[in-house]
Parts: sequence; structure tokens; C-alpha cells
Amino acid sequence: MNTNNNVYTVIYTTVIVVVVAALLAFVSQSLKSKQDANEKAETISQMLTAAQYGTKADLDKLSNVAKLDKYAQEIDKAFIINLSGEKLGDLPLDKVYGSKDLKRQNYNIKGGANKTAEPEIPVFIFKNGRTVVPIYGAGLWGPIWGYLSFEQDACTIGGAYFDHESETAGLGAKIKDDPSFQASFVGEKANFADANVFDIVKGGAPKDAEGKSLIDNKIDAITGATMTSQGLDAAIDTWLAAYAKYFIGAAPAAEKNPCQCASCPCEECPCDCHCTPGQDGCHCPGCECPECSGNMKHVEE
Amino acid sequence: MDAKLKETILNPIFKGNPITVLVLGICSSLAVTVTLKGALVMALSVIVVTGISSLILSLLRNTIPGRVRIIVQLVVVAMMVILVDQILKSFEATYAIDKQLSVYIGLIITHCIVMGRIEAFALGNKPWPSFLDGVANGVGYGLILIIVAFFRELLGSGTLFGFDILNRFGYVPNNLVILPPFALILLGCIVWVQRSIQKDLQEK
Repeated sequence: MNTNNNVYTVIYTTVIVVVVAALLAFVSQSLKSKQDANEKAETISQMLTAAQYGTKADLDKLSNVAKLDKYAQEIDKAFIINLSGEKLGDLPLDKVYGSKDLKRQNYNIKGGANKTAEPEIPVFIFKNGRTVVPIYGAGLWGPIWGYLSFEQDACTIGGAYFDHESETAGLGAKIKDDPSFQASFVGEKANFADANVFDIVKGGAPKDAEGKSLIDNKIDAITGATMTSQGLDAAIDTWLAAYAKYFIGAAPAAEKNPCQCASCPCEECPCDCHCTPGQDGCHCPGCECPECSGNMKHVEE
Repeated sequence: MDAKLKETILNPIFKGNPITVLVLGICSSLAVTVTLKGALVMALSVIVVTGISSLILSLLRNTIPGRVRIIVQLVVVAMMVILVDQILKSFEATYAIDKQLSVYIGLIITHCIVMGRIEAFALGNKPWPSFLDGVANGVGYGLILIIVAFFRELLGSGTLFGFDILNRFGYVPNNLVILPPFALILLGCIVWVQRSIQKDLQEK
């Protein structure tokens, strides 16, 4: 048989590619439900990590069923909101937002040609009082996403967990693999009054004399992973800005300001002032509100 | 078993080992050897991919048009790699390991061992010896992976397969061992040992 004939070559390659494609499509379809279940359990363990129900390593020791049980036990409320912070409706308590769901909402938040609907972003409130929200964005090689939890004051970060599809192992992949990077978020305060809600700073975030990170909205970027750090920074800013109205509204009534601090007499201020986290702890630069006596920044509601 | 077949099986495991003698697959052997579990899954995946793609291509060898043979090889190898990846993703026990190995499972397709054995062996031999050749090369690769991972997990985390071993005796894990350079140092030591046993590999 002459296997170098053009017609034979074309037919041969066509047949082999079609056969392989059909086989892969069949396998992919038949395994999909199992893979989705694994993915869901993984998402749940990431959210539980962010809400500080244990370290990721400990949660990973649980079976899928145990993860789902723990989630069902600890979740208090789950609902979706729009960009104005208004509640649109409840989510079933077993519904989580994995990277595929987040990707769709990310397009909707950013607008542009890929926008298909008005953004509907999820809020998960756990029984320990922490609120978990997702973030999603572009890393260096592929998508990155993750979950941040906020304390009841609606501005202090309680925990964080990030995941990625294909960041460089040992460098960008540290957003997922390095627990100390994730731990550096804890205790920082998001500045919902500003478009630049949170910063991952190259060259070092401001620190006190003992080298501890200040309570502000800045943490150190990852050495050797500038692009991934920038991508994560942009993802956090985009998503937390989308949640800003919700969190400002969700701040406890006693603390009208999402980021209250002792040195600010904000409670006595007759107008709606918001303290913003500054370089040296939580202070309020330049007050534009005539009635405010201190150095507070006035933010239009 | 005739001598030639025996040679086909034994050669890649020691005398012609893909990593220490042919120096193929170095990249992944640095990346996936932090834990024994990861190394074991990677080794098994490579064995399955090299074995079955060698078998399929050896069966097809007389029908493949010469001008597109590399493409046909790639299609078959890629199919096997995707199948392995999909299957690893579907089971609860292997899902976490698949996530940990991340891109390296997909990168088996660019493994020089796989394409090398198909080009050099499977296209010119009968299916059964080709299958054995593929499997043996996978085993040769996996063996080195497991040796390296054994030392890296033992010294770097103080555990084996996740169970505390050295940790029990107050051992402080050495972080250098976790980093890729140490895998290279270990590989160098293995090559050194092999070359002092196998004198014909030494350059004059």
C-alpha cells in the first residue's frame, strides 16, 4: 500500500483526529459529574480556609462528603447582591461559586463586550460571623481566584485563600502554596471608601519599628512573582470595589465608619465621615468636612 | 523469554536509564519530587502514557503516512495524556495530587522519553516488545523519581507518604531539600553512583 499518497494522508489524519476527538469528548462527558463534585468540595475547603475553620492542609484531610457536611453545618446565610449592595435573592445553601461561575461574573463586573448580564455577586456568611466573598482575575499565565473573609466590622480581613490555574511553580504559585502569604492578609483592613481597596506592594509594605506589618490595606508582594502579584492586586481591587457598597452598608450601626479607629472622633462628627486606613495604622488624612474637628476625610455617600 | 526481549525491559531501568544516562525528563523530575505521593502518581502516569502510546503506534506503524508520522504520534500521545489527566481529576483520592502536579501531567506530552521511544522503537518493532519498551522506560524514569522523592520528602518534610518518620525524633525539616536545586544535587549523586558502578559510561 502506498502510504505516501496525498489522498491517503489526508483521509488517514482526518479519521484519526475524528476518532480521538470523539473518544475524548465521550470520556470528558462521562467523567464530568465526578470532576464537578471534586471541584465543588475543593471550592468548599477553600472557602472554609478563608473563613478560618482550619488550615487548608487540615481541611484537605477530610473526604468530599465530610467537607460538604462541614460546610452545611457552618454556613449561615448565602445570597447574591448587585453592585449597589442590594440583596437580589437567596442562594441555596449548597451552592458555591467555583472558578467557572466567577469567570462569568468577572466579565459582568468589568463590563465590555463579554458582559452578558448585570453582575450578581455572591455573599457567604458563616456561623462564626465571618463574611466570605470571592475574587477572580488574571495572573501571569492563566486565571487566578480566591476567597477573602471579613470580620463582623465589615472591613478587617479574617482570612484568605487563593488558587490559580497555571502560575509558575515556586514563584507565582505561592499565592496558593505559601500559607505565610495568605496569613499576611489577616488583620489588614480593606479601604472600601477608595477605588484602590487593597494593595499588594512591591518593595515592601510599610512596617512598624519591629518589622510587623501595619494595620492598613497594604501587604508585601511575592518576590520573583511581580506579574502574579499585580494580577492578584487587580483582582482583589476589582472585586472588593464591587462589594464596597455592600460592606459600607453592612458595617455595624455603632460604627458608622467601616474603618473605625480610636484616634478619630468620627462618632461625634455630625456628617457622614469615613475614616480611611492610612500609612501608620488607621488614621484620617485631611478632613474636608467643615463640621469635623479632627483630621478626617469626608466621603460622599 | 528470549534475550532480546529481556534486554528491552532491563536496559532502560539501569544501563540506559532515561534520566541518569539519556538525561531526558530532568525538568519534571525536579518539579514533582517534593513528595513521594506526587512522584508515584507521576511515575504511574508516565508508565501508562509511554506503554499504551507505544502499543497503539506500533499497531498502526505500517499504516501511518511517513510525512505526517510526527503529527500522528502527537495526536495519540496527547490523547493518552488527556485521558490520564481526566481520570486523575475524577477520583477523590487522586484529585488533590492532580492539582499539586498541575501542569506537569499535561506536560508529559512534551516528555522526550515518550516521543523518543516511539520514534526510535515503536515504529520499527512489533506491538508486544514496543509495549514492554514503553513501560520499561516509564519504570526507569519513575524509579529515579521515587528515589529522589524519597530523600526529598524524608529530609525536607520529615515524612514519607505523609506519615511522620523523622519528625517523631524531633527532626527539623531542611527547607533547602524542598527547593528544586536539591533535586539536581541528588540527581548528580545518583549519576555519580551509577557511573562508578558502570565503568563504560565514564568519558576517557
